[in-house]
Amino acid sequence: MAQASWTKKENIESAEKSQNGRLKFIVGGIVLVGAIAFLVFNAMSGNTQLYKTVDEFYADQSRLVGRDLRVAGWVLGDTIEYEQIDATTSILSFDIVDNHDNPGNRLHVVVHNEPRPDLLQDNAQALVEGRADANGEFTAIPGGLMLKCPTRYEEMEQAGVDVPEEMPSQNNGA
Amino acid sequence: MIANIGYIALVLAFLSAIYSAVAAWYGNRTGKPAWVESARNATIAIFFLILLACVALIVSILQDDFSVEYVWRVSSREMPTYLKVTALWGGQAGSLLFWNLLLGTFTAASLIINWKKQRVFMPYALIVASMTQIFFLFLVVFIENPFARLDVIPPDGNGLNPLLRHPGMIIHPPMLYLGFVGFTIPYTFAMAALMSNRLDDTWITSTRRWTLVAWLFLSLGLILGGRWAYDVLGWGGYWGWDPVENASLMPWLAGTAFLHSVMIQEKRDMFKMWNMFLVILTYSLVILGTFVVRSGVISSVHSFAQSAIGPLFFGFISIMFIFSAYWVSKRRSALTTDNHIRSFLSREAAFLYNNFLIIAILAIVFLFTYYPIISELFTGEKGFVGPPVYERALAPLFALLLLLMGVAPLTMWYRSSLKRIEMSIRWPALVATIFVAVLFAFGVRSWGALLGFWIVGFSGILTVLEFWKGTRARMRRGESAGSALSNLLSRNRRRYGGYWIHIGVLVMAFGIIGTELFQQQTQIRLQSGESVSLGNYEMVFNQVERYPGPDDLVITEATVDVYQNGELVRTLHPRTELYTRTMQPMTIPNARSTISEDFYVLLVDWEPVSPDEATFRIFLNPLINWIWAGAIIFAIGTLIAAWPDRREEYVVSNELVRNALGTAD
Repeated sequence: MAQASWTKKENIESAEKSQNGRLKFIVGGIVLVGAIAFLVFNAMSGNTQLYKTVDEFYADQSRLVGRDLRVAGWVLGDTIEYEQIDATTSILSFDIVDNHDNPGNRLHVVVHNEPRPDLLQDNAQALVEGRADANGEFTAIPGGLMLKCPTRYEEMEQAGVDVPEEMPSQNNGA
Repeated sequence: MIANIGYIALVLAFLSAIYSAVAAWYGNRTGKPAWVESARNATIAIFFLILLACVALIVSILQDDFSVEYVWRVSSREMPTYLKVTALWGGQAGSLLFWNLLLGTFTAASLIINWKKQRVFMPYALIVASMTQIFFLFLVVFIENPFARLDVIPPDGNGLNPLLRHPGMIIHPPMLYLGFVGFTIPYTFAMAALMSNRLDDTWITSTRRWTLVAWLFLSLGLILGGRWAYDVLGWGGYWGWDPVENASLMPWLAGTAFLHSVMIQEKRDMFKMWNMFLVILTYSLVILGTFVVRSGVISSVHSFAQSAIGPLFFGFISIMFIFSAYWVSKRRSALTTDNHIRSFLSREAAFLYNNFLIIAILAIVFLFTYYPIISELFTGEKGFVGPPVYERALAPLFALLLLLMGVAPLTMWYRSSLKRIEMSIRWPALVATIFVAVLFAFGVRSWGALLGFWIVGFSGILTVLEFWKGTRARMRRGESAGSALSNLLSRNRRRYGGYWIHIGVLVMAFGIIGTELFQQQTQIRLQSGESVSLGNYEMVFNQVERYPGPDDLVITEATVDVYQNGELVRTLHPRTELYTRTMQPMTIPNARSTISEDFYVLLVDWEPVSPDEATFRIFLNPLINWIWAGAIIFAIGTLIAAWPDRREEYVVSNELVRNALGTAD
């Protein structure tokens, strides 16, 4: 055993040194954790969205106008309109509600320059990312329309595969 | 009839699992080895019983027995045979049964292989393994029975979801499951080590290969999932920071941290408690991942597959967590060590930084994934974090990790000299700077990309140099270049396999930086004969045609000519498929792939169909094929690291003999 030949003084020095080292690691660790916390805070600040249903949106409309939102609702099929203005410009719009069979508040969703997704059908579940104006018109951000078709997704989710929870709207393939 | 046999087999397997746990406990407590052996035999019997149940389910599917609800749900008469077989894991109940089969296989195999070598662990390993098995068998026997019957027998089944008919989707779930299930083995042996109070490295050495193999499968599962998304989902991407994806990424991260930190325990006998924590964390994340995928708990605003198994999973995770925490705290004195890190500039410190970064990434992914739940808890409002936030928070950490990947191999155990490291990195840093300067001269102006490419180049050169240094040393001893390299690999499988994996990761990182920062896209409606430009490509639309495909499929296919710098390079056929029975559409992209980029075309919005008008969405994905190439390199590296090493087994067996004779230190 090498340590057995050490003098007492060396032992104390080495213990002090190790305590010093430990302190350095603790201080370093705190600094690093602080840096990570800053990174997370910085990435999140102003970039998180609020999840709302249609009724929740209307209950708190004045506060939520202009905020980044994700609103979920069911599509009313007879409100879907699609207009191709020129080769690269189009407007898609439809209403979503909380309860398809008993529609109450309707949120009018407008999507610019995106194709009309195959999944956009009556009673499909839509999740839209974007902002609403004071008139209750909700403009989706690019790629901000996601659709789910209940029966199909159920199977996929049940299959336990990693299917994205929401499909971007350009994905017609779900 | 066959379905009944399957169900009876499952019930028997469930009872055997309970018996195995009780017999192992009793045999160990009373010192009667016959009971422990009986418990082991029960575990082997469980494997055969679950196998029988799987065969029964596959036979039911092949025989179109639609009286079984599961068969009706996932199969149909016209489905090809190979799809009928893979429909075993095409739905919830079947995939849980398949999970059980893999768990039964891994458990029985790991017990048999280690039976003689690690006899002391066995009663405890049997108890822990049986606990996991009991839970998953309980689910298929009582909650999600794959053999449940329908009252009315339908004439035909639904058929497998078209999205799941892609080859990538056929092998992706088994890969993930193999990875998930594989990580239960190190957990089982870690707990056995705790319970038997044998906390040397034995549990690590005897499960090292299992951990690596599990990790390989999980990696492949993640990559194949990305490839499938790219090929089938048609959004031009491969990873979306979706909760379900994150649920598989998190155990992978914890497992990666563990694979690195075990080396500190082996070399310096440190971090025992930490390694134990990482194994428990990985296992918990595996169970949590299995649960999240199936419960829809995260996206509860819009979840569909609400199932009774949610609370059960939560209960099981809690029980296993309390069980693990109890044993760790009971053995805490044996898990602490007097050794400590002596220098910030040492191999062990490098592993510590690696673990810190990986765990920080894991914590951030966890926080963001569960942010809807966490924010509701604290603010009463459900918040959401999108992919850009993930990228902003994680990019610096991934960059540091890549940098560490290059520098860490230069450090030595205990202490390294800063001067030596400086000397070693001088030239690689210069070469990487020249590389980036060239990119700058060619017009790359994104600082993020330039920094990323510099790190990838720098770490890449350093890693390749590790191979060069080792090979050159052997060549000096008279070996030829080829045999020097192959001997280098075969004599130091873990080390050089690890470096090989690093090269794979760096190649993937190169591709990810390219696609993430330089992707271009456009969408346009074209008349026949019209064209659109993207990058240095031009695409001319010719026509759309519609024709019937196999089964109930109707295919709408566009023909476009792709020109690069004015020269016709490829004719592409992006198409839309419609499964008319379920009215399910799929958009199948078609791409021109080269080493430098993919020109990826989607035919979207073909209604109203007209042979000379269509809308396309086009992506230019630079360097994307580097991701897939890196993945292949990565997989080869893992195989090198995990390949059985005769010399190592000889060392281990010698050590065991010494232990047995009481001559070990």
